[in-house]
Amino acid sequence: MSVRSRLFPSPALMMNVRRAISALAVLFVSLCTYAAEPLHRRIDGLIDAKATGFQAAPPADDAEFVRRLYLDLAGRIPAANEARSFLGDASHDKREKLIDQLLGSTEFPRHMAELFHVVLMERRGEHAEWQRFLQESFAANKPWDQLSREILAPDASNVSTRGSAFFLTKRLEAYGQNPVDHPGLTRDVGRMFLGRDLQCAQCHDDLFVDDYKQLDFQGLHVVYSNLSIRGIEKFPAIEEKPASKKLAFVSVFDPTRRETGPRVPSGNELELADEPPKGPTPTQLLARELTSPENQLFSHNIANRLWSMMMGRGIVEPVDRHHKENPPSHPELLDLLAAELVEHGFDTKWMMRELALTQTYQRSSRLPDGQSPPGPELFLVACEKRLTAEQLLLSVLQATGGVARASEPPTDELRKRFLAAFAAEPRETEDRPSATVKGALFLLNDDRLLKLLAPRGENLAGRLAKCSDPTALSDELYVSVLSRMPTDAERQEVAAFLLGRGENRDAALRDLVWALVSSSEFGVNH
Amino acid sequence: MHGVEALVHPLVAEELKRKEKQVLFVWLDGGMSQLESWDPKPNTQFGGPYRAISTSVPGIHVSELLPRTAKQMHHLAVLRSVSTQDNSHSAGVPRVLRGDPKNRGVVYPFLGSAVAKLLGPCDSGLPPYVWIKPGGGGFKAEHAGFLGAKYGALAFGDGKPPENLVLHPSISAEENEARNELRQKLNARYANGRRHENVDANSHVFDVADKLMARIDLFDDTAISPRDVERYGTHPLGRHLLLGRRMIEAGVRFVQVTSYHWDSHGDHFNACESLIPQFDQPFAALIEDLAERGMLDNMLVIAMSEFGRTPKINSHCGRDHWPEAWSVAMAGCGLRRGIVVGKTNDEGTFVDDQAHDIGHLFHTWFRALGLQESQMEYHNNGQPLPVAHEDCSAVQELLA
Repeated sequence: MSVRSRLFPSPALMMNVRRAISALAVLFVSLCTYAAEPLHRRIDGLIDAKATGFQAAPPADDAEFVRRLYLDLAGRIPAANEARSFLGDASHDKREKLIDQLLGSTEFPRHMAELFHVVLMERRGEHAEWQRFLQESFAANKPWDQLSREILAPDASNVSTRGSAFFLTKRLEAYGQNPVDHPGLTRDVGRMFLGRDLQCAQCHDDLFVDDYKQLDFQGLHVVYSNLSIRGIEKFPAIEEKPASKKLAFVSVFDPTRRETGPRVPSGNELELADEPPKGPTPTQLLARELTSPENQLFSHNIANRLWSMMMGRGIVEPVDRHHKENPPSHPELLDLLAAELVEHGFDTKWMMRELALTQTYQRSSRLPDGQSPPGPELFLVACEKRLTAEQLLLSVLQATGGVARASEPPTDELRKRFLAAFAAEPRETEDRPSATVKGALFLLNDDRLLKLLAPRGENLAGRLAKCSDPTALSDELYVSVLSRMPTDAERQEVAAFLLGRGENRDAALRDLVWALVSSSEFGVNH
Repeated sequence: MHGVEALVHPLVAEELKRKEKQVLFVWLDGGMSQLESWDPKPNTQFGGPYRAISTSVPGIHVSELLPRTAKQMHHLAVLRSVSTQDNSHSAGVPRVLRGDPKNRGVVYPFLGSAVAKLLGPCDSGLPPYVWIKPGGGGFKAEHAGFLGAKYGALAFGDGKPPENLVLHPSISAEENEARNELRQKLNARYANGRRHENVDANSHVFDVADKLMARIDLFDDTAISPRDVERYGTHPLGRHLLLGRRMIEAGVRFVQVTSYHWDSHGDHFNACESLIPQFDQPFAALIEDLAERGMLDNMLVIAMSEFGRTPKINSHCGRDHWPEAWSVAMAGCGLRRGIVVGKTNDEGTFVDDQAHDIGHLFHTWFRALGLQESQMEYHNNGQPLPVAHEDCSAVQELLA
């Protein structure tokens, strides 16, 4: 094969090659699964192998597990009846059954679309076509490499995927009094798809991270600096200047002029088409190369991000700082996850299932007794994750609403208020949501929130108001809000609180529900 | 003004006082004219119609539009040799507020966020960076730059409290206490046997919210003495500077008070006759109050804009943007009192001798606030970043 035909194979040929490869991969995997242990066991083996000297936390009890799993796969706490039915189920495989039930529900793709929307857009804004693109992609369990290619090289002629361009177009807008931030766009491509924050490498090789070279930044930037918004369209669409020239750059520390064409970090420079109208555009060329199974930065990035979503911390942490001086806590594990993802055609749902099945995921967040606690990077104790604004909204509605799963989606107004109180500011990373004064004031005094808590019909406080048995009342309160049964001491505490508040029982019930909803146990996925 | 001071040994009280350095930052957005304020040039080509008047410091003169402030001159330090790099509002405002550091590809924090980070909140537990401004309020994370949202400003739009600060009318104070007590019990139980970080962070934000809610009196105008209302004035800058003083007394680390519409490209002299007294009256009252209460020893007061105004008077009888030569007024801790540093040439067009950029001022202020050499650096993901431009240094003549 000549260099050119290797770089620009015909789509038909590509398709055939891909089919052949994936057929082989399926064969290979099915042969292997016979011999090898399932992935989740191998994951646990690698975690255990690093645990020397430390004891792991015991397995999460059913209540911890059911709450955690609903939050991670459905984006909300379980309804009171869902929690009760899981807690009362005596079958041995109920955890696996619940994992499959939730992965098969319509809530899973909705939640994944929300998660990836926040990761990719960092609260810059929303667009109906973008939201629909993500939602449909996760509903179809679209492979991550395909989804990434559709984002990085959007096809305006494809009505069902063209919303993907929002990732690029939103970053090609000027915001406030700032001009269009092309370097910021390049940086975000590196951060989100390759796990590398190349910001410092814009102007010089990173002074602190040997792996981050200015050439890495510029090789991406040659493509993304050429983009603008195609203004005439109602949907998000990009305009790409035909680029046949390389990008020249100098370091602020070294005046030597250098140049590069499109290039994936640590990869080879890609050859631009001589006649731009023919062959792939630079965005297509780069997107194809960047998402290729051979690009370890790409597969490591998504493996680490999926792990981080489930486990509350990356194998590489922060998730956009993969480099030699910030090594993975478990290098073999990250290699394994990335390789398995490639083998499984970047099937994110399959990976989430394997992760949920691990003992590592299913551990308690309580520290084991009588020893100095293991560092969070050992993954021997479940990491706590603060609920996102979206998880909080749905969970507050679930906790304070009826016994069964809420069927109505929240109103736009309520959603807006929750996002204003709990979402990060635009362009701030939200990988680890933090507690804010704004959020506390919202919980303390927001009129709409407090209305949800007060007794009304069959909502939680309304049901509690009709409850004459103190034990049943505490149980209903705890299982609805915290997805677990109260201890005897907690039952007494509830009774004492109500007794202490005397005749104004409605206000007392409201405040009881408030205290549970405002507690860390509720605000954290533990 | 802190309750604890009455209860502790005078020396300890001194120590407490010494530690609690605070800043009140008056921002006159659009550009106050140096010629009609701190650096008058009467009877010169560009001097304009106003005279210069003597002040409480022999030999120092200011514009006759600052009669009350002139009487407080013995507390002030004025720098007349300010020369900055940007003559546009859009770029100049953030550039000056960030101290115009060397470009390292990161967004620097505004002064208030910088002080919030470097000195932290005061013992009061109130948020460290409060911004009183006309218009809307809210949490302004964008001021914080790379420091991250939590160092942003809590803005009180038109001096009004932020959303949800007032205890909901359906909840009594006793009910509020009872529900919070239960929340704390639940949190303590949850934290038992787990890593503490989440509960600590959660408790902290509720504590700050609680402290803010407890000081709702700060927003109650009926609590202000009629004498103060008269001295500061009832116009926005007057009300906001008075609120600023009360925020400082309540224990906020850094208070910024902003006034807009100083951009007098046309009919400049009539505008000054209306605008500058709006500054003069409350600013003089503020300095007088702080000096009287002994608070100037611990706090830094700064009054400035993003640039000065052109000496040359344009065809609309206005003055345009002039970053080349303008003035900044300061008072308080670490600074000499009753002095003028630097000078402009006879026509006020350029700085004579040594000019000072905003970087020099940042160094001066951080020194005045007692920052040590080792504190003069941020760390951003391992990247060391000087807190102020490394090519600049403090203006020694200003420092006590």
